[in-house]
Amino acid sequence: MQWATIRLFAVHFWRNATAPKSFYLLFFIFILLTAYSAVSGIKNHTTQNNIRQEHQVKARQSWEANPDKHPHRMAHFGTFAFRIHPTLGIFDYGLESFTGSTVFLEAHRQNSVNFSEATFSTGILRFGELSLALLLQLVLPLMLFFIGFSSVAGDKQNGTLKILLSQGATWKETIFGKSIGLFAISLLFFTPILLVVIIALLLFENPIVNDFRWLRLLIIGMSYLVFLFIISAITVVVSASSNAPKNALLRLLGIWLLLVILLPKSAQAMGNYWFPTPSKLAFQSAIEKEVVQKGDSHNPNDPHYNHLRDSVFKVHNVSKVTDLPFNYSGFVMREGEKITAALYRKHQAKLVDIYKNQNNVTRFSSIINPFTAIKLISMTMSGTDFSSYIDFQDKTDDYRYQLAQTMNELQMEYISPKKESGSEGKTHVIGHEHWEDFQDFRHEPMAFANSMKEAFPALLSILFWAIGTMGLLLFISKRAKAI
Amino acid sequence: MMLYKLFLQQCIRSKEVWISLILITLLGIVGIVIGNKHLERQQDSIAEVKTYQEQHFDRQVSLHNDDLGLLLYYTNFAYINNLNPLAGLSIGQSDIHPTVKRITIKTFEAQKYDTDLVNPMNLQSGNLDLSFVIIYLFPLLVIVLTFNAVSEETETGTWRLVAIQSKSKLGFIISKLLVRLILLYTILIFLFFIAKLILNLSLDIDFFWMFGLSILYILFWFTVSFFIISFKKSSGFNALLLLSVWLMLIILLPAGINAYVTSKYPVPEALSAAIAQRDGYHVKWDTDKQATIEKFYRHYPQFKKYGYPTDGFNWLWYYAMQQMGDDDSKKQRDAFNKKITLRENKSNQIASVIPNMHLQLAFNQLAGTSMSQQLEYLNATDAFHEKLRLFFYPKIFEGQLADTVDWKQFVPEYYKTKTTLKPMKVIAPLIIASIVMIVISMPMTKRL
Repeated sequence: MQWATIRLFAVHFWRNATAPKSFYLLFFIFILLTAYSAVSGIKNHTTQNNIRQEHQVKARQSWEANPDKHPHRMAHFGTFAFRIHPTLGIFDYGLESFTGSTVFLEAHRQNSVNFSEATFSTGILRFGELSLALLLQLVLPLMLFFIGFSSVAGDKQNGTLKILLSQGATWKETIFGKSIGLFAISLLFFTPILLVVIIALLLFENPIVNDFRWLRLLIIGMSYLVFLFIISAITVVVSASSNAPKNALLRLLGIWLLLVILLPKSAQAMGNYWFPTPSKLAFQSAIEKEVVQKGDSHNPNDPHYNHLRDSVFKVHNVSKVTDLPFNYSGFVMREGEKITAALYRKHQAKLVDIYKNQNNVTRFSSIINPFTAIKLISMTMSGTDFSSYIDFQDKTDDYRYQLAQTMNELQMEYISPKKESGSEGKTHVIGHEHWEDFQDFRHEPMAFANSMKEAFPALLSILFWAIGTMGLLLFISKRAKAI
Repeated sequence: MMLYKLFLQQCIRSKEVWISLILITLLGIVGIVIGNKHLERQQDSIAEVKTYQEQHFDRQVSLHNDDLGLLLYYTNFAYINNLNPLAGLSIGQSDIHPTVKRITIKTFEAQKYDTDLVNPMNLQSGNLDLSFVIIYLFPLLVIVLTFNAVSEETETGTWRLVAIQSKSKLGFIISKLLVRLILLYTILIFLFFIAKLILNLSLDIDFFWMFGLSILYILFWFTVSFFIISFKKSSGFNALLLLSVWLMLIILLPAGINAYVTSKYPVPEALSAAIAQRDGYHVKWDTDKQATIEKFYRHYPQFKKYGYPTDGFNWLWYYAMQQMGDDDSKKQRDAFNKKITLRENKSNQIASVIPNMHLQLAFNQLAGTSMSQQLEYLNATDAFHEKLRLFFYPKIFEGQLADTVDWKQFVPEYYKTKTTLKPMKVIAPLIIASIVMIVISMPMTKRL
């Protein structure tokens, strides 16, 4: 195998492929699509983040504008958490349109994250959204198929292949050369997209949040390079193993349909079928039931709380709650919040496990489907995947818990023990400066290490695919026939 | 007749055709089974909510019999959007919007948009239901069956014979396509038959609409294919071009339109309404009680007789405050509804020129799983909520005991979606699209 011959094949392939006018048409269309997706991606990113930040400020202002009042009223006044759209979301929308953006955080209650784009849309959103990542995952492979399907089969049909081989070129050189040539063409399409993303990242540079965006982009870029090489090599391999260009094209189109449309959709549908999501009622009443068992602070005769009261009395050597050195109602609510939050988290973790099981079918299918592998890497690294969403949900729940407990502790400390229950009125209140002291929610993106952990199987499978493709290239060079 | 039989034999001779025919039938059946599962899950959660509701009332009455106001703070009532069995064919938006809502008589706006438990990965991947098979995969089958209908004759050298022997070359091509069309229609009929059996569908007008629209849609793709093969280019070229058309119509255009609608019409109104609703209620804890109650009586003058209790905590004042959550966020809510209607109209408008998008929306409309029907259900839930309020408000204000209320009457209530379909509006886009394709292929047919 001589490098010079390989280079010759690669250069020759490049010249041949880029010569016809139709190539320029294809390239032009792709650039137009790139420009369109980039503009709508950037526009969507800025408007969404402006809207969300503006409302985060608005919600905070009305929180801080509260007068002196009973802390439990503030625990119910609550606050909102708005999910920040990640900068790399410009590149890959991921699940962005299907995950809610807003959650109301208050004491005792875990509210759902509402207002996803999909809830505002008609059924047409299910056709997909045009993003830069979609172009790379779905359109570019198809274009490479169109450009490369006749790479070997065409030479075979018109007889040039026989001449080439008889003049001393080897199969290995032919196939590697053409694969590299096609890969080089794919870079022609890939580079503009990469540049757009780099410019967008520079434009929306946010020094406050350290989300490792450049490292993330590096991993995304490298993965796409490997992916495009896999696609280029597969194109040439299929072309070499077909006896006519037409057959090669039909096979490649079949592969595309199977791997891009049918397999991913079936994998997720199977996950959903095998691991059914419980109904919201079943989920909530399971928690409710356990709360009643463990201790229901709303039930005046609850054994758990009666026992708790007795032991508190014993420690402080009193016989009435009003004689305690702190506000007992706040104490009970703190205990109640602790119990319900722990139970909620337990059940929420179980629910997330069900979702993960559903998604695992897709994740494991990336071993046989490089298209799924790159899709998962791309959205995980962009921070628009499932784990980033769950991460947001967990963070808001942590904040919610803190909010409730801080207010309960303020109540224990500052509200007179004589005020047995109720939070109405202007007498048992604390100063409004406490409201400002409690920090606002700030959405921190998911840690880089966690994203890496999440993307690891997909990264591994794309690596295996790269090695496998190399093997396939060698294998086909030995087995291919010139006629 | 003999000719058609031969055409059929010629068509199904190839292995690829057989495989794709079997594959699409299987996928169609899988789609129906998945749709059926979706309906079953809804029925399960309806059964759940029925048993739960009784126990729920019993428990609440036993805990708070002497405090009806507190009881209604906790108690919720189910209102169910009973899915039309056709939703099994076109799941549409019924996977993202809850179909079983349980609401309390507190601020409605705070409960209206609560979502079900959903895995966003499932939503993004979309449902593999029969509508997907019809909209995405049948066109591909049309392409597989027709891309070489003419070119195989030229490529194998039989075209000249045909040209001499048949009365009309156009007639020859059309009858060849007709055989393939009938083959696909047979599969479609078979799938609808299976769907009727599995989903237990009644053969009503909506069912036949769905079937009829599918027939027209497949016809549209035949006219597209006819247009392309009438250029008499090579098989490879035809396959390439037809697939590019498929990619354009089914993937790129809708995806581009979605990106456009999303960035053109963001919905900040939803977030503003959420904050307005929160402030509308909570701020009243600190403002003048008299003013709150007066405002409440302006909305419900019939309750004026309950007076102005402003001393300490009382339920009249409390529910007046809750009412303000709804009343004070009305401006933002109206703006939100207006924006959603605007978005929907825009989407429908654009979709009407793209047959596959149009068909998806028409299917959802027929199955009762469209966005607008979801909004109607939410409005009906609002009315249900209002009914509960008007029933309970006087009882709470009078301080009645909980066991004087007949709780048995509160069984889960059902909402039935209405399908409003303007026949012309639904059919026209598909027929016009087909006619356009035929008209633009006219000049070509003269030069066959």
